[in-house]
Amino acid sequence: MPSLEWGAPTWPGAMAVAAFLVLVGGVVLVRAQGKGPADFAMPKAETSPGQSAKGKAAKAETPKNEDCLACHADKDLERGGKRGGSLFVDAQVLDGSRHAGLDCASCHTTATAPHDEKLPRVDCAGCHADKAEVLKTGVHGSPAAARAGDRATTCANCHGTHDVRDPKTLGTERCAACHQAQVGLYRESIHGKARARGDTEAATCTSCHGPAHTLQVKTDPQAPTYHLNLPRTCATCHGDPEIARRHNIEVGDVYKLYMDSIHGRAITRSGLLVAANCSDCHGAHDIKAKDQPTSRVFRTNVPATCGTCHAGVLREYRQSVHGQAVAAGSTIAPICIDCHSAHEIRRVEAEGWKLEIVRECGTCHKESLRTYRDTFHGKVTALGFTRVARCSDCHGAHDIYPTRDVRSTVNVANRVTTCAKCHPASNENFAKYDPHAEPENVDRSPLLHYTWKFMVWLLVGTFSFFGVHTVLWGVRSLVGRNGGRHAPPPAEGSDQEGQDA
Amino acid sequence: MPEWYFRFSLGQRLLHGLLMTSFLGLATTGLPLHFNQSPWAVWISHTMGGFGVMGFFHRVFAVLLTTCFTIHVVHLLYRLFVKRELHILWGPDSLVPQPRDAVEMLQHIRYFLGLGAQPRFGRFTYWEKFDYFAVFWGMLIIGASGYVLWFHTFFSRFVPGWVFNITNLIHGEEALLAVGFIFTIHFFNSHLRPEKFPMDLVIFTGRVRDDELEHERPDEWERLRAEGRLGTIKADAPPRWLKNFGRIVGTTAVAIGLTLFALIMYAVFGYGS
Repeated sequence: MPSLEWGAPTWPGAMAVAAFLVLVGGVVLVRAQGKGPADFAMPKAETSPGQSAKGKAAKAETPKNEDCLACHADKDLERGGKRGGSLFVDAQVLDGSRHAGLDCASCHTTATAPHDEKLPRVDCAGCHADKAEVLKTGVHGSPAAARAGDRATTCANCHGTHDVRDPKTLGTERCAACHQAQVGLYRESIHGKARARGDTEAATCTSCHGPAHTLQVKTDPQAPTYHLNLPRTCATCHGDPEIARRHNIEVGDVYKLYMDSIHGRAITRSGLLVAANCSDCHGAHDIKAKDQPTSRVFRTNVPATCGTCHAGVLREYRQSVHGQAVAAGSTIAPICIDCHSAHEIRRVEAEGWKLEIVRECGTCHKESLRTYRDTFHGKVTALGFTRVARCSDCHGAHDIYPTRDVRSTVNVANRVTTCAKCHPASNENFAKYDPHAEPENVDRSPLLHYTWKFMVWLLVGTFSFFGVHTVLWGVRSLVGRNGGRHAPPPAEGSDQEGQDA
Repeated sequence: MPEWYFRFSLGQRLLHGLLMTSFLGLATTGLPLHFNQSPWAVWISHTMGGFGVMGFFHRVFAVLLTTCFTIHVVHLLYRLFVKRELHILWGPDSLVPQPRDAVEMLQHIRYFLGLGAQPRFGRFTYWEKFDYFAVFWGMLIIGASGYVLWFHTFFSRFVPGWVFNITNLIHGEEALLAVGFIFTIHFFNSHLRPEKFPMDLVIFTGRVRDDELEHERPDEWERLRAEGRLGTIKADAPPRWLKNFGRIVGTTAVAIGLTLFALIMYAVFGYGS
């Protein structure tokens, strides 16, 4: 059984070492000696046929495919040494590939038939020089990637060898060869599943990361996945309301909304790396629809998701009556986004939001909103002014507790303090004011109720009597003018108001 | 040539002017808060410069009206205790309701129905007395509750907080009564009814013409003649500028009042129903 030993450095090898030294200096000397010229991107000189021929003393002409296959058609042909591995070449695979019609020697330019020594790695740049140049600009062509051992980025690792395919047909499985964990998550994600269903619009690796040759790591400010660039990247699809419509995505205008939100502005205007971008809430490779229990934006997971940044608020919220209700499985108790919204989050000082939040509380606390609207505070906010107390001014925001809880700001024990936030002279008496007075309710405040009844009847009585009185008088006066029976005698020698005319 | 007689003194006319101005101001700055759910209320409050500005002017007009009220009460006390004019408490010169007012009201209603002649009214009719006491009572109630609300922290030293709920309710409802009454009933009784339309200028000129006095208040006419007092209240004809001033101010006030009344009607009946 023929076997090829990986022996001492050969002439071309030694020359390549020399060339390498000239090129990159002594820093990588040891590595270069140990591994030989492995980089396909190396200058062509080191493996040029001319030099090879000089060293080999032209043992033979350029071999024909038949010459190569004489050995390599043997399915049992293996490489010797520690690494081993098959050296079998399936001619049919080559013929079915993108490179069909090319001779073996087109790529294996130094091959002779037969040959004992290991052939140098195929240099794709011999034909695809432009691609090789482009690759150097991305992380896959970086020195770090080249040093990644078995997972070093070579053309073949993505494109294959004899089975090289149309690049358009390369799928996520190629990326998975190195990025197994990420692709694993992706396949479970909404994008991955949509792709698997045959949705050609669903994002794949390159949709977000950019083309493989120029791909940048996310810490690179040029990368589409860089923290400040990501919203724009997601927007290539999610900025298009048409796409949202086609895919039944609820929030059609999500990109615009987000960009106007406090998070979006922090990203675009301030360049804040700590401001939430799309992936901070939705995840990156593991994005799932919000109705999936494992989704980061699944209802009960939202507080924890927001809490990754807003830890202090989360701690308060978890203790609160709303947080406890959610933890106990309530699906109606508010979570972060019910009050703050998801993509339209605004500063809590914004006037519009301060008024909307009152109505938001009222979507569940209908009675409280109604009775609030009946009092001075509620009337002023209804007009659109926020200088007076709103729900959260008395009840708190994230730290709302049941009224009977001593931690509650509206607990009897704390009311004077709570009122004093706006009314510094507040006292025990003052705190007996009912901010949710309900005149119609006799049980809540009898005195108020009867006062209300009295006032209503006073108004009804007065207007009824004088309403009738006025109508009768008006009719009678008109009739009288037209010469009614009891018309007053006409004023003598007078033309009413015309005295000064 | 018709003769003219004084009905209202200059002081009374000026006081009515102050009352009218502050009342319209209070209504305009207060109604938006009462009908806060109406679009026009939002518009007015924002156009005025916000809730703070509106509240400021509401208090300014409140102080004006309080001044007006105080002047009137002090003058009344002066007439009673210094000048000993006890006839303002009872009799034909008094605004205090008396048995003849009930009789005249019934006669008047009978006249409305075409069942009798007009009553022989005196110096003050029953509806004028009602106007007077309605405003008097209104100023007391609305004013007192208003000051309690204005200085709530001070009053909270003496009364529990739920009193403010009640004063708030009373202030709003009583004000609505006052506004509704003035802008409809008073406007009609004094200005808009066919006999007076479009306006009775007596409150601006202070003068009433002899034939008008004779036909509208025959009892007062007879009394003044019998007592020989017509000469003491004889007046010159109202000057043209004064009548024009009255027409402009009066029309403006009636226009503001009717507009506000229309807005109230819209808020009560035309909105959300």
